[in-house]
Amino acid sequence: MVEKKEVAIPVPAADNSPMEEDKPLKKTPKELKDAPIKDIKEELSEEDQELKTQLEMLIERLKESDTKLYNPTLETLRTLILTSTSSMTSVPKPLKYLRPLYPDMVAIHDSWPDNADKRFLADILSILAMTYDDDKLDTLKYRQVGSKNAIGSWGHEYVRHLSTEIGLEYTRRQEKEAETEDLVELALEVAPFFLAHNAEADAVDLLLQLDIVPKLVGFVDKNSYKRVCLYIASCVNYLESPDDAICLRTAHDIYLKHDKYAEALLIAIRMSDKTLIQNLFDNCQDPLLKKQLAFMLARQQIFVETEDEDLQNCINNTHLTTHFINLARELDLMEPKTPEDIYKSHLEHKRSAGAAQVDSARQNLASTFVNAFVNAGFGVDKLMLPEEDDGGWIFKNKDHGMMSASASLGMLLLWDVDMGLNQIDKYIYSEDENIRAGALLAVGIVNSGVRNLADPALAVLSEHLEDSKSVANRVAAIQGLGLAYAGSAREELSELLLPIVSNPDLAMELASFAALALGQIFVGTCDGEITSTILQTMLERADGQLGETFGRFMGLGLGLLHLGTRGQCDVTLETLKAVEHPIAKKTSVIVEICAYAGSGDVLHIQRMLHYCNDHIDSESGGDDEFQAFAVIGIALIALGEDIGAEMALRSFTHLMHYGEPVIRKAVPLAIGLLCASNPVLSVLDTLGKYSHDTDIEVALNSIFAMGMVGAGTNNARVAQMLRHLASYYHKDASCLFVVRIAQGLLHMGKGTLTINPLNTDRQIMSNVALAGLLTTLVAFTDVKTLILGRHHYLLYSLVTAMYPRFLITLNEELETETVAVRVGQAVDVVGQAGRPKTITGFQTHSTPVLLAYSERAELSTEEYLSQAPILEGIVLLKKNPDYVEEVKA
Amino acid sequence: MPPANTIKVNVKWSGKKFDDIELNLDEPGLVFKAQLFALTGVEPDRQKIIAKGGMLKDDTDMTKLGLKAGHNFMMMGTAGELPKAPEKKILFAEDMTEATLNKAMDIPIGLVNLGNTCYMNATLQCLRVVPELIQDLQKYSGGTDNLDAGSNMTASLRDLYRQLNASGHGVMPAGFLTYLRKAFPQFSQQGRDGVWMQQDAEECWSQLISTLKAKLPPHTEGKLNVISQFMQGEFTTTLKCDDAPEEEAVVTKEPFAKLDCHISSNVNYLHNGILESLDQKIEKNSSTLGRSATYTKSQRISRLPAYLTVNFVRFFWKPTEQVKAKILRKVKFPFDLDASQFCTNELQGKLTNTKMKLRELDNAETALKRRQRLDKEAGRMETDEISDEQKAVHAAQAALEGSLDPELVQDVGCNPSGQYELAAVLTHIGRTADSGHYIGWAKKGDTDEWYKYDDEKVSPVQKDDIMKLDGGGDFHVAYLALYRSRSFKAKSEPVKAD
Repeated sequence: MVEKKEVAIPVPAADNSPMEEDKPLKKTPKELKDAPIKDIKEELSEEDQELKTQLEMLIERLKESDTKLYNPTLETLRTLILTSTSSMTSVPKPLKYLRPLYPDMVAIHDSWPDNADKRFLADILSILAMTYDDDKLDTLKYRQVGSKNAIGSWGHEYVRHLSTEIGLEYTRRQEKEAETEDLVELALEVAPFFLAHNAEADAVDLLLQLDIVPKLVGFVDKNSYKRVCLYIASCVNYLESPDDAICLRTAHDIYLKHDKYAEALLIAIRMSDKTLIQNLFDNCQDPLLKKQLAFMLARQQIFVETEDEDLQNCINNTHLTTHFINLARELDLMEPKTPEDIYKSHLEHKRSAGAAQVDSARQNLASTFVNAFVNAGFGVDKLMLPEEDDGGWIFKNKDHGMMSASASLGMLLLWDVDMGLNQIDKYIYSEDENIRAGALLAVGIVNSGVRNLADPALAVLSEHLEDSKSVANRVAAIQGLGLAYAGSAREELSELLLPIVSNPDLAMELASFAALALGQIFVGTCDGEITSTILQTMLERADGQLGETFGRFMGLGLGLLHLGTRGQCDVTLETLKAVEHPIAKKTSVIVEICAYAGSGDVLHIQRMLHYCNDHIDSESGGDDEFQAFAVIGIALIALGEDIGAEMALRSFTHLMHYGEPVIRKAVPLAIGLLCASNPVLSVLDTLGKYSHDTDIEVALNSIFAMGMVGAGTNNARVAQMLRHLASYYHKDASCLFVVRIAQGLLHMGKGTLTINPLNTDRQIMSNVALAGLLTTLVAFTDVKTLILGRHHYLLYSLVTAMYPRFLITLNEELETETVAVRVGQAVDVVGQAGRPKTITGFQTHSTPVLLAYSERAELSTEEYLSQAPILEGIVLLKKNPDYVEEVKA
Repeated sequence: MPPANTIKVNVKWSGKKFDDIELNLDEPGLVFKAQLFALTGVEPDRQKIIAKGGMLKDDTDMTKLGLKAGHNFMMMGTAGELPKAPEKKILFAEDMTEATLNKAMDIPIGLVNLGNTCYMNATLQCLRVVPELIQDLQKYSGGTDNLDAGSNMTASLRDLYRQLNASGHGVMPAGFLTYLRKAFPQFSQQGRDGVWMQQDAEECWSQLISTLKAKLPPHTEGKLNVISQFMQGEFTTTLKCDDAPEEEAVVTKEPFAKLDCHISSNVNYLHNGILESLDQKIEKNSSTLGRSATYTKSQRISRLPAYLTVNFVRFFWKPTEQVKAKILRKVKFPFDLDASQFCTNELQGKLTNTKMKLRELDNAETALKRRQRLDKEAGRMETDEISDEQKAVHAAQAALEGSLDPELVQDVGCNPSGQYELAAVLTHIGRTADSGHYIGWAKKGDTDEWYKYDDEKVSPVQKDDIMKLDGGGDFHVAYLALYRSRSFKAKSEPVKAD
């Protein structure tokens, strides 16, 4: 007995070496419970027998009437329990032998008068209860009537058990609507213990269960806040509203408390909370960090006003083009590529050997798009811009093709507002209506993603909104505004465009595109005026007009307004019920999927699947188009959450097997959205299969989806598959057209761009990017009329999603600073203890580097400190003041 | 001294910045534009001056804009000419009719199937690779109103080929078909439901050739006609009695229109099959023995025609099932065929020299290709200088030409080198000769381009696709192959390495 006392290891609550803490009870109580009782009756060794007898004797002593002996007895009991050591596989002996005596002890406890001894006994019962019945929650019960000494005095396993019981009890009481004050109090005692002992996840879980997450802010310290925040932020995907917002807010507050403005800003961006963003930006004092914040905001195209011109330039993305061109120079990509360089038709299984070349308007148009996407942002190409052969290529396109041709200038000169507009300008004076319209669209495209204080796009395009002679020009101007100001929510634009939506005398085409542009500009704002105007238009317009194919864009406009706003769409959905035309059904699905975009909400995914169950006979006048949007919706809702995305992909194969034609043709589009710029092998195989489907629209959409999946990656496998498709479909001009476009997308920006709406380590979903992707996808739901018809220019909507997938590092003067970085596959480190490696299988490069979808980068030198929490896009570096150069041996 | 109401502003244009331009607020926008014209050379009506989301008009009242000193304007506009549409309108494929398009794309024209007439279509397309035949057909002057069905057929074939050359879309060979059926009633068999029945393409081919042989005028004055001269060879047949070795062998000469390739269980290559068919055992009444005895009939070619037709004897009559059943066995056929092995010793002697020179040329060409590849790998630029290898190739070519036997060169329509190249293949898919589908595969002109003639559908194919036609499965299987004599003259341009 005395000897044992000497080896006892106390377990204080604030242990300084949490990793070495010896937990007295490593065996889980559950296992203990399941241990058959006959084990105890087994032959016992002498030592065990002695222990057992001693314990029985102690309990006997408690039953006796000598109250003076109680305290020493209980003390002995506690010492025995605390000092028993156990391995992972065996049960602590004292608990094992005390278990049969538990009911006796409960009886003893009940019989005692309320005093210190009774509380002491309650403490012991509390730990013994771990081995007893779950349902009674005795651990919790006796803890509360016990002496309430330090929570960790019984060790870690006890605290975990207690926290489980707190959670259970809380739920029970909530059902009965009883008081929970005492539980909260206890939880607040438990949480700090967890936090101090490397169990951040348990702490967060407990507080989350008790709806008191914000309390965490006070508990975390500089050691634990990172892991806590990481855990909270990754929980958000699985939480319902408003818990998710509360969690994010907590993470934000924790970061802010530790002066981590950049991290806090990312959370604020996720919450899309303008005030928080503004506050963070205003309160950040460090000028360099503030610049980094400006770049991060610029990436999300969130514009914050500031007086400082340099900062304003950062936020406005003014230098994006310079950075991009620098990257291109560094990677030796400046040499323009021709469409033939992309097609590599000499590698195709060639069919027409040496046949005389005839200009095909369709194929030339495809080349126009390929040229535009491949050389996007570089400002040089071989078709459109060469000086000597001015304007020649445009005329190699036919009629409406010329519109896309001159609009491609915008793509080539992307982000370069100063130089670009001048090159486009001359086409605005063209005699040809289509070229003029294209030039207007180009003005919009050039300005996409960058903001210029002079607002040239607004100035030029607003003049053409009233052009009474040409519908094409007006549409182009409207679209141009939509692309240039996507996400800006500028009031002037609402004033300009709303009359076009509401004017009943205008063509449905104009009204729809105006609604779409408004949706893009006011994406995710739920702007009341615009919402009501669009709804009003839907109520007022004649059925015939609403039935036009453009109606889908009006619906999409409404949907984009609600993008990512979750519950806020309810009123709109209610109002839509008043519209009798089938457009209402379509639109309500679009609004619903947009509102829950990226939420991973399983209930809504199920609803969408449910929509797909219906069989609608389109011959008898039923409109089944909403099912197509439901399918896209599955991808949209599951976006950004890996498990959900996996499940969505699975359900797509079922839909493909058993679905109606309208569903089948939407499936590839949904896959394209889900895996944009992320060429996963299994997905490619699936799409490759669908691209030979007998339903030509399924094939067309699959081919386009392959382009989306490979967009900007130069993926060799996709390239090979597309070349194969090019020879397979060499006789089908429509399919070949889409194959070419897919090839263009694959080599977008010569492999430097991405269209994935998720950025910053896949944490942030860009609404603006989604708006562009959705516009293109919705156009593909009626591919024959729109993309293969006159409205191929809708492909340029992708521009809002296009962004360099680079990592460039700048020094304090915003000059390029080359540093070594490690780039590797991202590893999920949420909830892992210590400082686990965040990447695996890495290679060391020097900046600038390109990052693929699932890759992550980290600095491989201690010489610099990164201002950005996540190495992606534009990152500012600061010299590490503590850096000591390694002495080379 | 500037007027009181003047402020200094900046203008950004085309990446340049003009600082501190004096702007007189009292004057209209046009004056400012004129100022900028002086600076940039952009005419005022081409200038777009942008100030805070609006554009400066010629008559804008500058005082109302609320401009401050140091204001940044942005200007759009270029001095250059506006892009002009090209004088000549570009004609797009989509605007053309199918005919003009096919013409522009230079794709040969197909023949429409008039109800199981693919055997005929395939035959006609394959025969088009013989330009001499086409030319001579055009010389044929008869009409289609003769009493003789053969003449009518020849005339209608002439018209059909003429039509094929001129037309832009699939031609209906209705006229020719009628005369063909008149001349050869076996082709007008109808099934029980009144549908025309499938026929054996080889039969059609042979009948057509024999008719043409009879009807076509002489190729050159006073000589044989094109069929006899270009498409017919000569066998020297030795008949020897096995049972009576003392009996003297009988040597005869006879013309042939095609070589047969027998397909037995040990034939894997075209030449095996041909050799097998050249040596046969027959039963014949022996004059010396006075009974029927076994004779060895051994045929050797004593004249090689310029166009050699090889028939894969794939069909045999199965009496039990009353069908011409097909042998699916894979028999590889080469693109370049050396026919000297089928020749008489005498002819072989004339060909050996050429054969040797050909080997030298091949070696020289391989060396040249390797050199070119090495050059390319080493990144050496192509020069105008002629490399040693190139010279060697030229020399070998010249030697090859000179090696041809003068006697054979004299004989127009024969193959002086004994070397053939594949020009057309007629394939069959299906299990019996009277069912399935026939397709023609032919080279176009002197080029190396192959086309597949599936009735009216004509599509370019790869050389590799032709190689897949050697049988062994249920794919299209070569039935007739038309070889033409290799020409060594046209190869002045050495083959360029890829």
